[in-house]
Amino acid sequence: MSDTKYTHAIQILEDNCTGCTACVRVCPTEAIRVRDRKATIDPNRCIDCGNCVTVCQFHAIIPSSDPLDIIHNFKYKVAIVSSSYFGQFTEDISYSVAKQAIKELGFDEVAEEAMVTEFMIGIIRDYIRANREKRPILSSNCPAVVRLIQVKYPALLPNLFHQEAPMSILTRYLREKISAREKLADNEIGIFLIVPCVAHVTAVHQPEGAYKHLQDGAFSIGMIYGKVREIIKKLQNNPVEIDTYPQGLTWALSGVQAELVDSDDIRALSVNGVENVMDILSRVEDHYLDQYDYIVLRSCTNGCVGGCLNVENPFVAMSRIKKMIKEGESQDINVDDLEVLYEQGEFAVAPLTPRPIMELDKDIKNAIKKMKRINEFLTMLPGLNCSACGSPTCYALAEDIVLGKASIDDCVVLLKRHSKEGED
Amino acid sequence: MQACEAAKYNMADYWNIVPGMENALKECFSRAAEAEVTLEFVIPEKDFNNAGKGSSEVKNLLKRLGVDSEVLRRIAVASYEAEINVAAHSIGGKMTSLIYDDMIHIKFEDSGPGIGDIAQAMVPGYSTADDLVREFGFGAGLGLPNIQRNSDALHISSEAGEPTLVEFLIFFA
Repeated sequence: MSDTKYTHAIQILEDNCTGCTACVRVCPTEAIRVRDRKATIDPNRCIDCGNCVTVCQFHAIIPSSDPLDIIHNFKYKVAIVSSSYFGQFTEDISYSVAKQAIKELGFDEVAEEAMVTEFMIGIIRDYIRANREKRPILSSNCPAVVRLIQVKYPALLPNLFHQEAPMSILTRYLREKISAREKLADNEIGIFLIVPCVAHVTAVHQPEGAYKHLQDGAFSIGMIYGKVREIIKKLQNNPVEIDTYPQGLTWALSGVQAELVDSDDIRALSVNGVENVMDILSRVEDHYLDQYDYIVLRSCTNGCVGGCLNVENPFVAMSRIKKMIKEGESQDINVDDLEVLYEQGEFAVAPLTPRPIMELDKDIKNAIKKMKRINEFLTMLPGLNCSACGSPTCYALAEDIVLGKASIDDCVVLLKRHSKEGED
Repeated sequence: MQACEAAKYNMADYWNIVPGMENALKECFSRAAEAEVTLEFVIPEKDFNNAGKGSSEVKNLLKRLGVDSEVLRRIAVASYEAEINVAAHSIGGKMTSLIYDDMIHIKFEDSGPGIGDIAQAMVPGYSTADDLVREFGFGAGLGLPNIQRNSDALHISSEAGEPTLVEFLIFFA
């Protein structure tokens, strides 16, 4: 049943897991079960949203990101930094110092997601205008949202923005440019992402859709944060001049990105937080939101600043980034080369395939049979949705029983009631 | 053996059938069948925070059965509109979904106060919604027309001062 076709950047450390079921309850796709007092994740259902990583108090669910040492396998090392990184520091630390610190980790060059924000806004608008019949177009840069659509809302796959995400576009562009400039072969250039969430780490190791250009690794902001802080202390005394792109930092903020795309002929909506995203997708499915041309969907609170591998609170990080945008000077970025690649169709992505998890059976008659049995078990269960059995709800337990993955004896409440009856 | 509940009524008189669907209905009604799965949902008066939950539950259930997404959308729209109608215009009621292996039959029964002129209520844009209802963004007068447009067979019975029954059938293929 569980063919592990999909890899994930989330690991469960069995020794630390107490079987508390906190993760079971926060998983939006009901991918986690506790069996024999240990949590397990169904790789077919997991969308890498990171909710379980955030909620686990026992460090039993940890994000796997690559060790920083792997950059030394390459002659020329490039870091591409997620915009949310710049919201992680106190206000005495400047944008340029924070950026320089990444370089000091051992990279030859640091590029930023923010460099291509304006270019992205342009191609998003192009795409919306060329695909009016598919409205609303759904943003595809949050890998967790894309997976969510694949597993729970496959009917909406054609509505996704079918062009690459900024970090993927940058990878494509930089690889070519650097290889020409430094006279290096492809495999001598290492391109790495500094990312705010597990979904991005997974996207690097299992590129799909908007993330088709392979990077050589991904490091979480949380993992490098300690080192970066040390470097920053030294740098603050002798700051170095380095290019920054404050106007592009908007990419990290879900609401601001929507405002930028919004124009006279394009109405945009911004949605963040995975529960809100699911509610909106369900309504898009029923065509209740056709008045929008574009919907920015981000799985985390406030967008990428809410990623579970960040260190700062998403609201504080958002406020800091907004301050940087306001105070920073706008810079002209030459995107001619990108325009050429775009015209050639280099950034277009192939349609994604559905990964449906909802169907009980391929045959509707069998599915109905299973549904009837689920309902029979459901009437026996107490309806408390306590998760003590290890399934998220009574309904999920009934389904697990029918699918042969659990037994009615797993219900703790029933067990207690029966033992009381036995005493009477 | 009990016949399909929708078949109990004299077909042509009772159901407002979308042209072309007559045979499908006839065939369906001739089979002896009880609903495979039944789902009930209470709809309280003016409870807009929860209105829509019944239809979303039905949609999730049908997703599990693997019902085609376009059919699913029609069912979701028709049931959502009908559910909102009960919440907005009646003093409360209930929604009963009868699921067969080739179609769904959804009934909305409320406790009044009834529709004075059904023909007028079917006209797109006509609405008797009060200010509270409009404040919540409903009351555009598209409820019944939307239900009709998305269902294969529809029946409405009501009179001023009486309870209202709205029921419709939608086939899966």
